[in-house]
Amino acid sequence: MDNYLDVANSQFLAILGGMVFIFLLLQSSLFLRKAWNRGIESGMDKAKLKGAMRQSMVFSIVPSIPILISLVAMAPVLGIYFPWIRLSIIGSAVYELIAADVGAKSMGVSGLGGEGYTAAVFANSMWIMTLGIVWGLVVVLFFLNRIQGIISKAKDRDASWIPILIAALFAGMLSVFLGDTIAASLVAMLPGSTGPVGLGLPVLLISAGAMVIFGLLINRFKINWLRDFALSFSMIIAMASAVLISL
Amino acid sequence: MKTYDSYIDSMHRLGRITGGIALVIILGVPALTCWKFGIFPPIGNLMAGISSLLVIFVPIAIIEVMMYTPMAGIGGSYLLFVTGNLTNLRIPALIMCMESAEVQSATEEGEIISTITIAASALVTTVVIALGVLLLVPLTPVLNDPTLRPAFDNILPALFGALGVAWMGSNTSGFAQWKVGILPSILAIVVIMAMGGHAGKLIGILIPGMALISIIFARFMYKKGWLMDETVAAQC
Repeated sequence: MDNYLDVANSQFLAILGGMVFIFLLLQSSLFLRKAWNRGIESGMDKAKLKGAMRQSMVFSIVPSIPILISLVAMAPVLGIYFPWIRLSIIGSAVYELIAADVGAKSMGVSGLGGEGYTAAVFANSMWIMTLGIVWGLVVVLFFLNRIQGIISKAKDRDASWIPILIAALFAGMLSVFLGDTIAASLVAMLPGSTGPVGLGLPVLLISAGAMVIFGLLINRFKINWLRDFALSFSMIIAMASAVLISL
Repeated sequence: MKTYDSYIDSMHRLGRITGGIALVIILGVPALTCWKFGIFPPIGNLMAGISSLLVIFVPIAIIEVMMYTPMAGIGGSYLLFVTGNLTNLRIPALIMCMESAEVQSATEEGEIISTITIAASALVTTVVIALGVLLLVPLTPVLNDPTLRPAFDNILPALFGALGVAWMGSNTSGFAQWKVGILPSILAIVVIMAMGGHAGKLIGILIPGMALISIIFARFMYKKGWLMDETVAAQC
């Protein structure tokens, strides 16, 4: 078994992938049904529940496409089925390739799919990709109860602080993604810089502008169906402009 | 009607059972593959590789759990850490849907909307990836097309431009959210400019760092009463 791709593209791994797929659909459906029933039971408006579900589904299509791109990038070196499994459960594209590479290097092989990348090295990559990524889940399984306990205690003490704390957590994340794009372009615009300004800032501004226009349209003309699509449409418009600008 | 507490307890139970199964499945895939094909990497090499990753990924995991579980609530958190894609998919979906439904995290309605949002998002991603596996051959040339490259290279600016402006312009949390968002954003720009314009691999450290700073800012403004919404202020 020297050609690791015989393992990587085996029917056995395909079946495991299928089982993972079915498990994930079942798990999400169980959570969805449970929350839905509770919502109805506690007197929430059904339209609100349906709206959240629809909006989340519509939005999630476009950001899922880059996952496919990383699948395509990983398939020649790691086969189709293991990247499928890894990207479906927890995984992220950047992490998987780094971890797979660490797996190869720790076996003394220069890189993925290269000389000496045998089935045993592939197995090592599989283990390292797996054991590196599970920790978030482990922490949640053991400590979520306690973390939520801390939050609900803080809420009893000062209820109006909690929404501000949660907004601040999101602001921290948002600021880094905005900052990364804006800073890259600003640095390139500094006098003496030779680098290209790049598409990040124009894309960010076009997307933000499109979102503002959609917001005005929704509020001014009461186009409620557009609410579900506004974020996706803004993203697609901005991404299409990136293609047009670079033509 | 059952109490909300008993719903939360049963959600913890469902989360632990399915999360435990997920963990077994995740570990079972390499284990079964090694067993089936009789290939076992030398344990020493495996440990060497693993230890170099653990020092980075265990602390990141702890920080991520502390940072995202307050937003996602209980049901949402269990799903979040099984299906991954936190910053590029689930948290943006969550924030957008909570805004639209006008509910807040850490409330009963927020808990329900959050679980529905994350479950619906996970269903879509799971199906999209499976379709990608089925259609890998016809899709490969499209996804690798150099003309479309700039679109996918810039998906994060496209996402956070629209989401950022929508979130900053809203007051679903009970106050004008831009007041909490604006200072960290400016600071992040300055910090990343000082780093040469790219956060790169340090993004995993910058996100919790900026979150901490923005909590301190927000706490200061809260204590000063600057976040009090006009309507709330009028009621007081």
